[in-house]
Amino acid sequence: MERGYWIRSKPVYTSLLWHEKATSHLVVAQGQGGMAVLKLFQLMHPKQAITVLYTPYAEADYSKTLVKVVPEGLHILEAEQEVLAKLESVLQGMCMGMRLYIAGSEDFMWSVAKVANKFGIEDAGMMKELTGTLARPIYCVHCKATTHGVTTNIGECSGCGRMLFVRDHFSRQLGAYMGLMIDAESPGELPEIEEIYP
Amino acid sequence: MSMIDIKVAAVEQVTPLVKHFTFVKRDGSPFPAFSGGSHVVVSMNVGGRVHRNPYSLMGSPADTDAYHISVRKQEQSRGGSVFMHENVEVGTSLQITYPVNLFSLAKKAHKHILIAGGIGITPFMSQLIDLNRLNANFELHYAFRSPEHGAFADKLKAICSDKLHCYADSKGERLDLLALLSKQPLGTHVYVCGPNPMVVAVIETARNLGWPENHIHSEQFLSPGIGEPFKIQLAKSNIEVHVPAEMSMLEAIEAAGVEADYLCRGGVCGRCEVNVLESDGALLHHDHFLTDAEKAAGKKIMPCVSRARCDRLVLDL
Ligand code: FES
Repeated sequence: MERGYWIRSKPVYTSLLWHEKATSHLVVAQGQGGMAVLKLFQLMHPKQAITVLYTPYAEADYSKTLVKVVPEGLHILEAEQEVLAKLESVLQGMCMGMRLYIAGSEDFMWSVAKVANKFGIEDAGMMKELTGTLARPIYCVHCKATTHGVTTNIGECSGCGRMLFVRDHFSRQLGAYMGLMIDAESPGELPEIEEIYP
Repeated sequence: MSMIDIKVAAVEQVTPLVKHFTFVKRDGSPFPAFSGGSHVVVSMNVGGRVHRNPYSLMGSPADTDAYHISVRKQEQSRGGSVFMHENVEVGTSLQITYPVNLFSLAKKAHKHILIAGGIGITPFMSQLIDLNRLNANFELHYAFRSPEHGAFADKLKAICSDKLHCYADSKGERLDLLALLSKQPLGTHVYVCGPNPMVVAVIETARNLGWPENHIHSEQFLSPGIGEPFKIQLAKSNIEVHVPAEMSMLEAIEAAGVEADYLCRGGVCGRCEVNVLESDGALLHHDHFLTDAEKAAGKKIMPCVSRARCDRLVLDL
């Protein structure tokens, strides 16, 4: 990566902070993101209605502490799929004024964002904090499959098996980084594969 | 800016204060298509001086044979709307700009709440047709002084049936913004066009209810207003221009033969922005475009609506 290099489509993540004017709060977190939720409650316990959906991930499990800290509306779920299903049902009943907070891996955050999009919640209406792994979801521009959790600069497409160069160019629509076949000109000739998104 | 030559094909008095004008192209060809919420700027020659006022297009965006605008007579104004009311009749020739949309519907919205006050109904007239065609979920809330001022209420009833809610001030009917905006489903966008207090009330109510900024849309063209006369220096053109009391800076610049950019002429779009190279007094910013910090910094000004109280003001034009 060159110095001074910046690509506009690359999402910028921040630390979660309560929206002062929200009429209700919905926090969705995974694994290490549990710490981001704890930090939120460390700041304050808002008076508006709160819903927290949490799923442990890999070694990170903050369930026990969350149970003690989150006053109400906490749902501990076993897997990402369950989080997404619960999110769908929770969103059905919500009104404008609800603010959404997401913390977890990029893969997780953009899966959550996709569900929220279905309800007309736009990107600007969600706050995201990247926690834990830097692993990336990669969209293959050739076969259109998305490969999740890529930690290397070059990764194999789960759809077509091509070796993809992992770019910084991100599509909010697809919730993934663009991957381009790296050895199209000279098949089989690959640069060194390195782990750069641990 | 390139213009379209038009002829007035029909004039209709819709309320005691509002006239409706139908324009056709002078060469008989169809107009360019536009999207709901677009406006054009109408140029009129008022006693040798060119006035340019923005008006929303209100007909169906699919109808390119004619353009429709409505004009409320502003007695307190500098004469553009009075000219439209008193001097423009069937057959009058005028020039208009190509349509520009600064108030378009949010494509991703799941529901649209349109709030209009008085003549603020005009940009919605074309949007409603788009919304109906898309079979979109919407509500129109239309507030006016008294039933006789509720221009187009009947027409609107026909277009939106039960999605229309009218509020006549004279009958004590009030739009309860808090109640309206506090229980809208996710994905709702709100749009407001009307008098300033109404626009401010809608924006503030939505913000206080936690609505994200990009779900709140407003349009309010300001009229340039009348002020003290002053002088400006145009650095690039190397001339001095006198801005009379009842002329805007932009009009004075144009009258001096200098081409300046504009889109809305109402202080909202940002197109007319010019850099202030030097000033020795107060800039009277009237626009909605510059941020408070930019206004305070005094390095930029929107000549379509703003003025100055300076002995020396040098613009980068
Ligand atoms: S022309 Fe739009 S702000 Fe001046």
